[in-house]
Amino acid sequence: MKRKKDKKKSKSGNSLFGKSNTGYNKTCPLSGKNAPEINYKNLKLLKKYVSETAKILPSRITNVSLGKQKKLALEIKKARALALLPYVGN
Amino acid sequence: MALYEHTFIATPELSANELDSLNEKIASILEKNGSKIIKKEDWGIRTLAYPIKKNTKGNYNNLYIDGNNKIIKELEQFERYDERIIKFLSIKIKKVPEENSELVKNS
Repeated sequence: MKRKKDKKKSKSGNSLFGKSNTGYNKTCPLSGKNAPEINYKNLKLLKKYVSETAKILPSRITNVSLGKQKKLALEIKKARALALLPYVGN
Repeated sequence: MALYEHTFIATPELSANELDSLNEKIASILEKNGSKIIKKEDWGIRTLAYPIKKNTKGNYNNLYIDGNNKIIKELEQFERYDERIIKFLSIKIKKVPEENSELVKNS
């Protein structure tokens, strides 16, 4: 009996692995009414979704919806072509 | 007729006069057969994210064009062989934004 309880706790609790409930935004930050426009000229927005080594972050980390992630990737590539964003970082 | 957005990067060493003549040349290519430049944006000299043709800085210019694919092709052909231009990108768009983009240099 005791063991079972412990297991449950570790699953929903604050463990290192598994999903934590605190500060976890489930909805897409680029969808909805007041969402910012995804455009290759909006560098402030694009830089949020690019890693330090200038790679595009996966949507499983940023929680961007599939449609918006495709748009975002396209706009980042446009910005790269114009040397507004780097292809490779440090 | 369709709407296009065209950005080109010129070499940063150009003087104001040379830049004017370049802009005139581009306008002369674009302004015929009913096509025209709707809006112009000058982003100024920016540092490039990576060196292009041994340049570390570039003079950005952004144009909104009402035209067809032939005129864009002609413009790109000119830019490809012009030494004053480092790189360019043209995109088909649905409507021209009314506000200036954040990249416009505030002076």
